[in-house]
Amino acid sequence: MIRYISRRFANSLFLLVVVSAIVFGLAQAAPGDFFSDATINQRISAETVAALRARYGMEKSLPVRYWGWLRSLGTGELGYSFAYDLPVGKILWPRMGHTLLLTVPALLLSWLVAVPLGILVATRRGSLVDRIFSVGTSAMLALPDLLIALLILLFALRTRMFPVGGMNSVVIPPGWWSGWKDTAWHMFLPVLAIAFGALPMILRHTRASMMEVLDSPYVRAARGLGLSRFVTLYRHALPAAANPLISLLGISVGGLLSVSLLVEVIVSWPGIGPLVLEAVLGRDLFLVMGAVMFFSVFLIAGGLLADILLYLLDPRIRMQS
Amino acid sequence: MEPLLEISGLTVDYTTAGGSTVCALSDVSLQVFAHEIIGVLGESGSGKTTMGLSALRLLPANAAIRSGRIRLRGRNLLDLREKDLAKVRGAEISHIFQEPAQALNPVLSAGRQISYVLRAHKKLSNRELIAEVHAMLALVGFNDPERIARAYPHQLSGGQRQRVAIAQALACRPAVLIADEPLSSLDAATQAETLALLQRLRSEIGLAILFISHDADTLAAFASRTVVMEKGTVVAGGSIQELRSNSSGYVRALISPGASLKAPTPAEEAAGTPLLSVRNLTKRYVQRQVLSRRAFIVEALSGVSLELNRGATVALIGKSGAGKSTLARCIAGFETPDAGEMLLDGFPLRNLKRQMRWQVQMIFQDAAGSLNPRFTAERLITEPLDILGRGTKAERRRRALNLLEEVGLDLKFADRLPAELSGGQRQRIAIARALAVDPKLLILDEAFSGLDRPRQARIGALLQTLQQRHGFACLHISHDVGFASLLASEILVMGDGRIAAKFSSEEIRNSRDTTALMSMAVDPGSSRPEVEAAP
Repeated sequence: MIRYISRRFANSLFLLVVVSAIVFGLAQAAPGDFFSDATINQRISAETVAALRARYGMEKSLPVRYWGWLRSLGTGELGYSFAYDLPVGKILWPRMGHTLLLTVPALLLSWLVAVPLGILVATRRGSLVDRIFSVGTSAMLALPDLLIALLILLFALRTRMFPVGGMNSVVIPPGWWSGWKDTAWHMFLPVLAIAFGALPMILRHTRASMMEVLDSPYVRAARGLGLSRFVTLYRHALPAAANPLISLLGISVGGLLSVSLLVEVIVSWPGIGPLVLEAVLGRDLFLVMGAVMFFSVFLIAGGLLADILLYLLDPRIRMQS
Repeated sequence: MEPLLEISGLTVDYTTAGGSTVCALSDVSLQVFAHEIIGVLGESGSGKTTMGLSALRLLPANAAIRSGRIRLRGRNLLDLREKDLAKVRGAEISHIFQEPAQALNPVLSAGRQISYVLRAHKKLSNRELIAEVHAMLALVGFNDPERIARAYPHQLSGGQRQRVAIAQALACRPAVLIADEPLSSLDAATQAETLALLQRLRSEIGLAILFISHDADTLAAFASRTVVMEKGTVVAGGSIQELRSNSSGYVRALISPGASLKAPTPAEEAAGTPLLSVRNLTKRYVQRQVLSRRAFIVEALSGVSLELNRGATVALIGKSGAGKSTLARCIAGFETPDAGEMLLDGFPLRNLKRQMRWQVQMIFQDAAGSLNPRFTAERLITEPLDILGRGTKAERRRRALNLLEEVGLDLKFADRLPAELSGGQRQRIAIARALAVDPKLLILDEAFSGLDRPRQARIGALLQTLQQRHGFACLHISHDVGFASLLASEILVMGDGRIAAKFSSEEIRNSRDTTALMSMAVDPGSSRPEVEAAP
């Protein structure tokens, strides 16, 4: 068990190092840097620009810079933002917290809704419910996430039931509880938008995977031995159908993040999304690289989580390793 | 006496994907009394399984019970609501299915699966539950119930799985057990064990068994009465002994399927070199773990020698895991042996170029798996010719159609896809494909085990005819001693990677107890069973 997890963990770390090299390489290969605009400006002398570059160590050789960046990754500083004149870590960490505040509830919500619904639809194959869901999920998959986010924004504007942007009201009544309540109120729509985007995929996979298992002789055998519907579905069929879903969970952790990026920009949620957009446009390289690394950590952690869950839940996989 | 289970006038329809209805059972009646074993005999598609499933109301969604009654202790099961039905299933009437590997949930431990059944019908504390699970596993003959309870299906052998499935089915001591071909996926020795277990359980817990099978020999030893089914109706009934005197061709084909086969001609004394000669063949599988020096070595073949004459048929028998398939795969060139010699026509097989491999052809157990599902029958048969570049396109086509006819299929089958064929028809296509290149040696790896008795006999007879016409030799791998002895002139028994014993087919046919013969071959320590002298 511990050996398996530590091996997976080591693999993930190795993968991260590879990703960091690629991220760094790509960032360096991109033309221009934060100070490129300054060279056009007549009033800034070439010496000043060179001095600025030297100050940030940009004239050093590639491996040295890479090593420096890696070390700053290790300390959590993640390099230095030119635009904010601060270590990237200082800017990124609180923003990550805000993004997780959206994605974690969205992840829980989408799975808690989609899996029971998928099971329900799987047991009613070919029925009206099944067909409605089939058409519905197709439509939802076809809808771009952007459109979903905009629709929800429209809904908020028209009904005025929910705030349309930001994370907190301008004036919050005193007390920690009202602060939380205010944030939760602001979270509602973006979380819904993100969960809504992830839901159809999970539902479809649950349906397909359950349908296959429900056809299997052992589920029929369980029914024939008088097991109740609930035990048959949730104790027999679901564990057997879980493998592809767990893999999907791992992937969806990363996928939610990319949807979140978009939603954050639209509802001006102070997460990583608007920050990255701004940093890309401003060529604030280390900030972009830091955000990309954060995404990679998230994706790889999702994979790791799926591997560990599979190990815990499937005796056949435990056997192999 | 009131029957325990009474099926009367049962008619069941299936609705096909195309919307038409197919009658699976029509007006079937059957009675099972307490402590009785009733056999149901019939070929695949005769409605046996549909009847078994109806009795539990487990029919698939596209099946409908049109009329009839299924009464268990006087109560009509067809009137019960799903909730009341769940109380009857497992508690009063239970079942075991053909494939124990599939009847158990792969991700739940054996103990847990049994405990779910107990919990569904009884109120037990956790401690009582565990004790009851262990008692049940002990009842089906496990010496170490604690270990088995913790084991997952993939950690158990086929026979063990079937015993777990039996324990699960009988956990709440039902009065009736429906056993649908519970033996057909097990090897001969395990079959005998399972049968003995069912016999014992019948007397110990007073069980009535509805035993569905296509094997008359099993029923003869086991069932007090047998009903014979054909195309959804009951066509005959009585003990197997009585049925033997039945004149109907269908019943006779079921009861003594070997009758249509010619007795195998004893191997002619080797004229010149044998076609195939294998000497001291050894094959090891080494499993290495990444970053570990430990290696698991499995010796699949340890010094196997055999000879096969031109046109002869030799059967290779053994338990699963005895090395039969490895040997076949080595001869066919799928595996490279570690040591030893294989000569085909005096020429080392190992040096055979890919272009010359056609001389050995193989037919696999699962015809559906060995035929490309997107190819038509004609393309399947011409494919080996295409690969070898033999003849023109028109000639290949002609040859394919000839072969189709030779294996007893109509020309209209030429355009069919494997999915549109039955199991027997698929196996015929596989034979036609193998014969397309005119091989010298045909290896049949459990090629019959997916078929029921009458079909086995028909395909066997077909092979005999083709063999006479084309003169190829057959290496017939099987776990079914009885049937193999009808086809082969010589029977080699494999165990633990070596040839453990050798019999002529007469010896086998004249010995009453083939199971003893098998187990003797598998445990080389015991003595040779008494074999009656050939007349």
